[in-house]
Amino acid sequence: MNLRIRLERRMHQRWWYSLLAPTSAIVAALCVGAVFLAVKGFDPVAVYRALFEASFTSLYGITDSLSVATPLIMTGLAAGIAFRMNLFNIGAEGQLYAGAIAGSWAGIALGKNLPPVLAVTAVLVLSVLGGMLFALPVAAFKAYLGTNEIITSLMLTFVGLYLMRFLIYGSTSFWRDPAVTNFPQGKKIANAAWLPLFGSYRTGWGLVLVVLVAFAVWALVKYTKVGYDMSVVGSSPAAARYAGIPSKRVVLGALLLSGGLGGLAGGVEVASRAHALDPNGLALGLGFSGIVVAALARYHPLGIIVVAVFLGGLRNAGAALQSMPGQRVPAEVSLMLQGAILLFAIGAEIFVRYRLHLVRRPAVTK
Amino acid sequence: MNNSAFVLMLAASMVAATPIALAALGELLAERSGVLNLGVEGMMLIGAVVAFQTGTKTGNLWVALLVGSLAGAALSAVHAVLTITLRASQIVTGLSLTIFGTGLATFVGKSIEGMPLAVDFRPTPWGPLADLPVIGPVLFKQDPIVYATIVLGFVIAFYLRRTRTGLSLRSVGESPATADSMGIPVALFRYIHVLLGGLLAGAAGAYLVLGQVPSWSQESTTGGLGWIALALVVFASWQPVRLLLGAFLFGFSRQLNFFLQGQGVAVPAELLSMLPYLLTIIVLVVWGSRDLRRRVGAPDALGIAYVRDER
Amino acid sequence: MSDNVLPGTTPASSRGVALAARGVTKRFPGVLANADVDFELLQGEVHTLLGENGAGKSTLAAMLCGLYQPDEGQIYRSGKPIRLRSPREGLAHGIGMVHQHFRLIPRFTVAENVILGDPKQSLLMKPGEAERRVGEISERFGLPLDPRAVVSDLTVGQRQRVEIVKVLYRGADVLLLDEPTAVLTPQEAETLFATVRSMTSEGKAVVFISHKLGEVMAVSDRVTVMRAGRVTGEVATKDTSARNLAELMVGRPVEQTVRRGTGQTSATPYLEAHAVRLADAGRNVLDDVTLSVHGGEIVGIAGVAGNGQRELATTLAGITAPTSGSVRVGGVDIGGKGAKAARHAGLTFVPEDRLGTGLVPGLSLTDNMLLTRRRSFFVNRRAARAELAEAIERFEIKAPGTEAEARVLSGGNAQKVLLAREVSDAAKDGDVRALIVSSPTRGLDIGAAEFVRELLHQVRVDGGAVLVISEDLDEVRSLADRIVVLYRGQIVLSGASEELTVEQIGMAMAGVKE
Repeated sequence: MNLRIRLERRMHQRWWYSLLAPTSAIVAALCVGAVFLAVKGFDPVAVYRALFEASFTSLYGITDSLSVATPLIMTGLAAGIAFRMNLFNIGAEGQLYAGAIAGSWAGIALGKNLPPVLAVTAVLVLSVLGGMLFALPVAAFKAYLGTNEIITSLMLTFVGLYLMRFLIYGSTSFWRDPAVTNFPQGKKIANAAWLPLFGSYRTGWGLVLVVLVAFAVWALVKYTKVGYDMSVVGSSPAAARYAGIPSKRVVLGALLLSGGLGGLAGGVEVASRAHALDPNGLALGLGFSGIVVAALARYHPLGIIVVAVFLGGLRNAGAALQSMPGQRVPAEVSLMLQGAILLFAIGAEIFVRYRLHLVRRPAVTK
Repeated sequence: MNNSAFVLMLAASMVAATPIALAALGELLAERSGVLNLGVEGMMLIGAVVAFQTGTKTGNLWVALLVGSLAGAALSAVHAVLTITLRASQIVTGLSLTIFGTGLATFVGKSIEGMPLAVDFRPTPWGPLADLPVIGPVLFKQDPIVYATIVLGFVIAFYLRRTRTGLSLRSVGESPATADSMGIPVALFRYIHVLLGGLLAGAAGAYLVLGQVPSWSQESTTGGLGWIALALVVFASWQPVRLLLGAFLFGFSRQLNFFLQGQGVAVPAELLSMLPYLLTIIVLVVWGSRDLRRRVGAPDALGIAYVRDER
Repeated sequence: MSDNVLPGTTPASSRGVALAARGVTKRFPGVLANADVDFELLQGEVHTLLGENGAGKSTLAAMLCGLYQPDEGQIYRSGKPIRLRSPREGLAHGIGMVHQHFRLIPRFTVAENVILGDPKQSLLMKPGEAERRVGEISERFGLPLDPRAVVSDLTVGQRQRVEIVKVLYRGADVLLLDEPTAVLTPQEAETLFATVRSMTSEGKAVVFISHKLGEVMAVSDRVTVMRAGRVTGEVATKDTSARNLAELMVGRPVEQTVRRGTGQTSATPYLEAHAVRLADAGRNVLDDVTLSVHGGEIVGIAGVAGNGQRELATTLAGITAPTSGSVRVGGVDIGGKGAKAARHAGLTFVPEDRLGTGLVPGLSLTDNMLLTRRRSFFVNRRAARAELAEAIERFEIKAPGTEAEARVLSGGNAQKVLLAREVSDAAKDGDVRALIVSSPTRGLDIGAAEFVRELLHQVRVDGGAVLVISEDLDEVRSLADRIVVLYRGQIVLSGASEELTVEQIGMAMAGVKE
């Protein structure tokens, strides 16, 4: 068969394509998920209804979803700001840990002597610095040596993970709570350093902060010289050179900013939810999921909020499902669905951006 | 002497190195064709859970290994279609693959969590050779997969260096445009090697439940080995034989802390676990310097979708 | 001894026709690249395709080797009609092309590059044998190469030899060399000519694509001259002269509106280069270039592509730092201080690569208007949008709107946006206004090209200094008050437009010294 698929970039995108793509991805993923559920003997409709109800119908469900979405928004922003420049910092995960380490240090060491506003600020500022510091090798090697940032940032993620585990499990460090001996835990940060929650709900000022940061990033990208220079460097290095924009400095700055945002994700987690450096609570995956959140939102800072809330709901529902009476559906259904939606969305995205042609090669004539 | 803790640790390092090496060899093939697949962890988990269930049902180790490998390959096919034909971002797709694979494997494996597997790969001593001091237990008293992996490493090295197809593969990873102009089917090469990568990642996962610890648990079965495999490919500068040595080193570092604990030496396990990743960064930065990059290092077209220039 | 037979001494009629094209036509969107072209290559001859850039030589060669298929007409191999659908099929017919841009894999050895994709290789490669055969071929045709050397370690000249060996290894006896000397030093070119002679002495036929008259006269037996997609003549080298070829190549100038300045120029030059030298990989890309452009005049840089024009433009625009020498805009030294310093001194620059360098394809048109402007911390798009809207109207730019991505623009409209940005900047009140424009009308239709030329003329009349760099000699002659010819990075000719004849300029462009 002499058929080939050719992709042609669409010059004009119809607005409804960008809604159709994620919608069809979700539908397709639910269908695939239904097959697996049915094979394992579950009723897909009941499971999906339970999923939806757990996350999106009650006020508690919604706020729980938002509390999961909060760090996802941050890591999504961290990935998004770099990816839109074709800088593939996939280490938001590690930068999150670094931010959590630095932020919890501030919360423990400085928190008790400071008034609440300053204490929280200290946690957040230090977490940003921690994330930046952790992204510094990635940024500097990329900008000045041309070292592949994908690999350095991925490797540093695990360095960060084990550093965090070392501080709690492997040593009697400053972060470890000396009072608990049977199972090592992080020392609680001072109450003053907590980001308050709304009443008895699990979400609070952390979410407000993160949304504000998203708007700030959006404004930075869209309305400032910094954002403009970043767009030019990311889109066309030759044009940057022509325009006299210092590419290396912009690359360095963008990766540090990305790292700082990743660090802030850790700071917010510590200040609003974990209240300690908690290797179990900061489960592996928020950083990586953030990358996919950013990709699905096409790296748009405000789109990232929407996608993160949706995926946050899905994640949250997973936890809620386990307590579902009678069915005992494992929480991992939501993770599987999340993965399937992502894969379908990636595929659908291509159809939005390109037109597919089947090309027949000229027939052989002798 | 052959029962000394150190020799036992060396022997155990061989076993620990095997799944890392298998998965990394697969990733090496995919990356040599220019496709980065960050879904190794997901493919390993799927391979493990499917192999475990097949093993339980059939009681046949080899069938379990085969089916587990095929499951890994099936997952990699998703990556291949999305990144090669549809030109989606290799990074985003690979990460999504890991998320999907982890979720699916955990869901499917929920019912078998903690169950023991009746069959497993056992060390087969090579007669008297197995009694040689030190090298006996390390080299001549391992299970068949350990040997198969070592052989595979050399076969892949030979394939890349000495065969026409291997040369074509390398050209596809270095410069698909040049390869295309020489009549080499770029997409076909990429598909085949991405699928081979998935097959080996699946096999690596299968080995984890069939050889090392014959039981399944999402938490501990892979424990991030897929990511170490990705690091190993870089650490080995995309060279298969160097990869085998690196795998031993990484496996050794995983065993070292058990050994040191036994010796009463307190080196925190977490710091040892960091080692492979730190070493990889150092290797990348040092060997990635401009002078050396001409010879060794990432395939030039790694991570880039190929579009034929059509007028 | 056949080795001693000089090229061209065998009567052409006694040899067979190795490769021929009859009535070949090839169209690309908006361009008639080849129109009813006839071409004939005899066994054992060196046949040059001569013509300026865009004359259609490379298109014809691409059809002869199987890269393109002709829309009309027929290719013949040894008298038999053939249809080539890919370069591989060309090679199967013994026709091989050596491209200007090498297709080599830097990390591979010479031998690996040569045998890559060869269907005749056994599955298990025998590196020793491949190396031996590569060595044999390179020795036989005077192409000194170490088969085991890694290509990234080789010089450009050596890499070209690898390309030639690659083609010979596949058994080609018709070789097409696309501007092979463009990247070579004179010494390397001499070695190449010796190789070409040794190939023809073994009965191989060579199509040599060039626009350098001197070497064409030296190396070829016959010459087919092309201009604007058509063949304008076919002559035996021994019956012609470089002057004659130059005339055939350049032809009679197309009637273009000749515009001249008012003759009133600024007292001091706005743009100056003094003894500028730029070295790249041990070669002087620019060599002792000294020139000046005053306000109120247009200076045109003529020359064949690849003789340092691009580097001259980026060096004068402050983007590339000269190895030695100085660049001044309005008396301020800006050499290598970056594009911003040059712009602050009063210089604007329209690069030849419009979409990708001059404009950012992924940004909106409004944002592109800001690319070379001073930007405050908050980007102010309002003024840019208004300016763009005005330009769209005044310049009749066809664009879907001010917020459309630049990538949707056609070449002509992209150039208009670029000029709107750079010229309006240049025309602002101030002492120094200098404008550098590379290939101002390349790829534009007649209407847009005329518009651009009128605009450049207007900048001059308004007192700006304009430097036009163009491979289109007619354009340079119709616009410029003074013409400077660049050859191998040196100024080989300069003078007032009126005082230089087409022939003089053509010879200078081709590197022929009188």
